[in-house]
Parts: sequence; C-alpha cells; structure tokens
Amino acid sequence: MEFKRDEDVLNDCVQPFCAQTTDLAPLFAAEAYDNVEKKIKEIRLESYRGKWVILFFYASDFTFV
Amino acid sequence: MAAVAAIYDQLKVLSANVLAISTDSVYSHKVFTEVSPSASKVIFPLISDRSHEISKAYRVLNEKTGTAFRATIIIDPEGMIVTKFVNPLEVGRNVYEILRVIQGIQYGRRTGEGIPANWVSGQPGIIRDPKYIGRI
Repeated sequence: MEFKRDEDVLNDCVQPFCAQTTDLAPLFAAEAYDNVEKKIKEIRLESYRGKWVILFFYASDFTFV
Repeated sequence: MAAVAAIYDQLKVLSANVLAISTDSVYSHKVFTEVSPSASKVIFPLISDRSHEISKAYRVLNEKTGTAFRATIIIDPEGMIVTKFVNPLEVGRNVYEILRVIQGIQYGRRTGEGIPANWVSGQPGIIRDPKYIGRI
C-alpha cells in the first residue's frame, strides 16, 4: 500500500509554549519588596528592556536550607 | 540567595539585573530580609507571585506544592529567553554557571566566536570558519 502523508501532519506538530530558550519572555507586573529602599514597589519586566535580567525563582522564603 | 548576592558585583559589570521570585507575599519577603542573615544581604527586589501568574507563565510552578521550582531564567536585552535552568528540588544552584552563561553569550555576540563546553571567561572561543569543521 502506498504511504500517504497527511498534508497537515507537520503543522500539527507545533509544540506548546514552554518558556524555553529563544522564546519571548512573558511580560509581567508584580509587587516586590525592595530591601535597599525598604519599601514595597511594583516591578514591571518591560522596564528592564535593554538590560540582562535573571529571574531567580525559589520555593519559599523560610526553609531549612 | 546569599550566593547570588555574593556575585552581584560581577553581574552588575555585565549589566545583569536579578529579580528573585517566590509565591510568598511581600509581607513575608519583608520579614525574611529582617530575620534571615542571608536574606538581609539581598540587594535585588523580591517579587511576590502570590497569584502564581508569573511561575505559570514561565512554566516553573510546582503544582503539588503551589511553589516555584528552583528555576533560573536568563533574559537578554531584547526580551528573549536565552536559557532556562530548573534545578532538582534538593540541590541549590551553581551561581558561577549563571555568570559563565551570560559572559559566554556576551563574548559570543561581541566576537562572533562559538563558545565551547566548559569555556570560562578569559579563554578564547571557537572561530566559525568552515576549514575547521571536523578538525576539532
């Protein structure tokens, strides 16, 4: 039997968004505590355009380690 | 946290800004910096992702615990994610690797050279010349 490739098969293989290398970083605005100014302020990722940013996710403020 | 604070000066040289994020409240963050000796040294903002919105958007939310994984995401000046590390639950990060990756990308973009495995700042990169293909 002749193998027939469905025209749409390749298009259906689009991967879900995984926030991976080469993806655009999702923009956000959130409250933050600034330990230098000792105050609560809003941080907008957008305002960091033109700079390198390291998002440092961690589980919890108070842990054993 | 203190480990990142320790390399903060070197990150500043690379024009890299740290934003720490957890699902705790800003009130928790404030008390954390007041009582924890290591957190008291923190000079970057501690973002509260109480709604889990940011952790979900970056696909680093541990849904079993409602907390973020130990994820490190580096974003370039154009707003593109250049790398994403997700550490094991039990093992802390290697902050020197974060530094090395940013130095490597910056060096690579500046010189056009490739950055080989285990490269460290100060070493040469690899010149992208077809005559070297298969010779390294």
